Amino acid sequence: MLKYIIKRLIGVIPILFLVSIFIFLFVHLIPGDPARLVAGQDATIQDVENVRKELGLDQPIHIQYFSFISGIFQGDLGISLKTSRPVFDEIAIRFMPTFWLTFWSMVWAVIVGLLIGVISSTKRNKWQDYLGMFGAVSGISIPSFWMGLLLIQLFAVQLGWLPTGGLDSWKSYILPSITLGSGVAAVIARFSRSSMMDILKDDYIRTGRAKGLKENKVVWGHGLKNAMIPVVTMTGLQFGFLLGGSVVIETVFNWPGLGRLLIDSVAFRDYPVIQAEMLLFALQFILINLIVDLIYGFLNPQIRYD
Amino acid sequence: MKNRYWFKLVMLLILSIIVLIGCSDAASEGEGSNTDAEDAEAQETAVKEGKDLTIAVAANFISLDPHDTNDTLSYSAEKTMLEGLVGFDKDMNVVPVLAKDYSVNDDATEFTFELEEGVTFHDGAPFNAEAVKVNLDRLTAPDSTLIRSSLFELIEETEVVDEFTVKVKLSEPFGAMINTFAHPAGMLISPQALEEYGDDVSQNPVGTGPYVFEEWQPGDHLTVTKNEDYWNATGNEVDSITFVPTPENGTRVAMLQTGEADFIYPVPTEQAESINGTEGIIVENAQSIVVYYLAMNNLKEPFNDVRVRQAINYAINKEAFIEVVNNGFASPLDSIIAPDTQFYSGQSPYEYDVEKAKELLVEAGYEDGFNTTVWGANSSTAMNAMEFIQQQLAQINIELEVVPMESGTLSDSIWSVENPEDAEMEMYYGGWSPSTGDADWGIRPLVGGEDAYPPNSYNTAYYNNDEVNSLIADGLATGDPSEREQAYADVQEVIWEEAPWAFLTVDDTIFGKKNYLEGIYLLPDGSLSVENLEIVQ
Repeated sequence: MLKYIIKRLIGVIPILFLVSIFIFLFVHLIPGDPARLVAGQDATIQDVENVRKELGLDQPIHIQYFSFISGIFQGDLGISLKTSRPVFDEIAIRFMPTFWLTFWSMVWAVIVGLLIGVISSTKRNKWQDYLGMFGAVSGISIPSFWMGLLLIQLFAVQLGWLPTGGLDSWKSYILPSITLGSGVAAVIARFSRSSMMDILKDDYIRTGRAKGLKENKVVWGHGLKNAMIPVVTMTGLQFGFLLGGSVVIETVFNWPGLGRLLIDSVAFRDYPVIQAEMLLFALQFILINLIVDLIYGFLNPQIRYD
Repeated sequence: MKNRYWFKLVMLLILSIIVLIGCSDAASEGEGSNTDAEDAEAQETAVKEGKDLTIAVAANFISLDPHDTNDTLSYSAEKTMLEGLVGFDKDMNVVPVLAKDYSVNDDATEFTFELEEGVTFHDGAPFNAEAVKVNLDRLTAPDSTLIRSSLFELIEETEVVDEFTVKVKLSEPFGAMINTFAHPAGMLISPQALEEYGDDVSQNPVGTGPYVFEEWQPGDHLTVTKNEDYWNATGNEVDSITFVPTPENGTRVAMLQTGEADFIYPVPTEQAESINGTEGIIVENAQSIVVYYLAMNNLKEPFNDVRVRQAINYAINKEAFIEVVNNGFASPLDSIIAPDTQFYSGQSPYEYDVEKAKELLVEAGYEDGFNTTVWGANSSTAMNAMEFIQQQLAQINIELEVVPMESGTLSDSIWSVENPEDAEMEMYYGGWSPSTGDADWGIRPLVGGEDAYPPNSYNTAYYNNDEVNSLIADGLATGDPSEREQAYADVQEVIWEEAPWAFLTVDDTIFGKKNYLEGIYLLPDGSLSVENLEIVQ
């Protein structure tokens, strides 16, 4: 097991290396000249050239890549073209807000999603099922920026219970987590419902019922554990996506997170920040995949990693 | 059967809740839209606890080093902490700040400043002629890569005459130089801080202003606190000001409604009416110096014919444009520069007249019209504007293809042009804010002949007229205001007649505040002024 984990972790390095090349090329291929954007609206050509030299953008592209990659090996992600602050700092101060927002969104989404999914599957075609699936379809279909603004209007402006945005206290997490998690909860509800329905037809469930186990034990104990594999895959993927920071949610709720940083950096062609963020996302996805694989083994002992 | 019944009941309940939420929203908006400016004045003063203000703004701050800043928003924050020798008042007139007085020699090559005495920077460093010299030398250092160095490149030498007198010599006459000193790029940083932090002063600004830098969490907030020893104190300064970047319009407005923010800008034009006069909110708008225009590539057919350019000017209904695109928060542009720009002189407008436009096209030989394209930003406002122009030009058989572009792509398309003749641009919809407030910076970069062609500058109309070029040069060759005025009056007349652009609008600045705030407003260049700020309960 430990050997497997170490093997997988070592495998990360060549993947990240390839990813870094792709990211670097794509970032430099998008049209737009960062020197001109940094120099600003009313800069003269001389200003633009000064900036280009200052930022090292006058170097050939392979030299730029080399300094980028050698910087990474020394733990130096470079300097933001836009703010002249170290990229590491820019990302570090935004990582935790995005992480905790993602975490709390996922916590409630998984709990509520599973509850709805399992109940819907056991009450198939009854009102609980209809209600649950109505909620799930709504959760998937409602655009998050609209839901966010609606929640702000209701809970911040009309009722005055919660702040409109920003990150000041635990209260700040409530509205964005609800908005961010609702789509995920909906997806999890639908996945767990269909997965549970398949499982509940299986022989061992009938056996469980036949030997007189309580229905709750059958559903939540034996059924759910086996129905979890597709749900875990889905949850892992969603977690990875959300960790990248949601541009929409972070904008609506004024959240100091990675999504807004990314959109700002792309608009500004802030190459070092874009590159570092993309690498971080790649790394997060790889690690989450690893964790998901390990959970498979826990859920289904037939899956072995030797 | 019973289940169906329950199901319907629950659905009905959910539906009615949604409708109710919708109604309560609509009701409050309905109320708001009926209020007018008088109601906004008449409402009771909202209650403010404490003296800590929050200002919600639309974007992130980029730098706090005025010499290395190019966005108005960063300047707004810097202006709470730093001051220049001179500055702008509400109408963009140059007024003394750290210089008590100044004088200019006749050919506009020597500017002498008498400095305020007894002023100190936030870190205790004294403000004197030497401090001014350190700042100007920083800007004019030959190896300087500061973004704003180009504004000051004409400075040949800064001379300390005595402790409180400083003389700036230019290498050639430049009549607009005093406006450059009033530009926020001319704000002064403590020499001690420059030495201590180097270029990191962009994170640690130290000036002489009414507020002192407290902390900056990029992407989250920027806080400044009251300068207890401010030399020019009004006594009404608030304890602290926190700027919160809030890009989403709806959220920014909500913050003002809940009182989480005391002041927001810009207010989205579509919501301005509905929040004005509710919950102690006052929305104010004023004319800016930001002009919007449709540049036509004068090197290309059919735009090399002045009749075609005039026809396009006649074919666009500016009043309707302002209603559609700006929700009424703008005014028609009636010269190449806006009224609050120095040496502005208004021209008689191209009245909306489709028949006249058609006649001009017939004269020019385009009775069947032609096809062309317009480039512009992909923001919803810019796209609205271009689509409106598309409809208007269709009336005179000009078929316009609208090509919105993402900002980086747009700037690449316009400025990666080696040869003016090869420029693919036909029409370009854009805006210009002459940040020095002087006519020169509103005219020369935009229509100032070959020197201003992209990529050198912003002459996207590729307009080159010898008369205009020499008048522009005349305007700079002297420090005498009346001579400058004459030159700029002439140049504006020629440009108006020649119509290298379709002249569109001057946008309004628009902000929302709680009604206990006084003395806080936006200058015509879009930057914030808090010098006279006070809380009135």
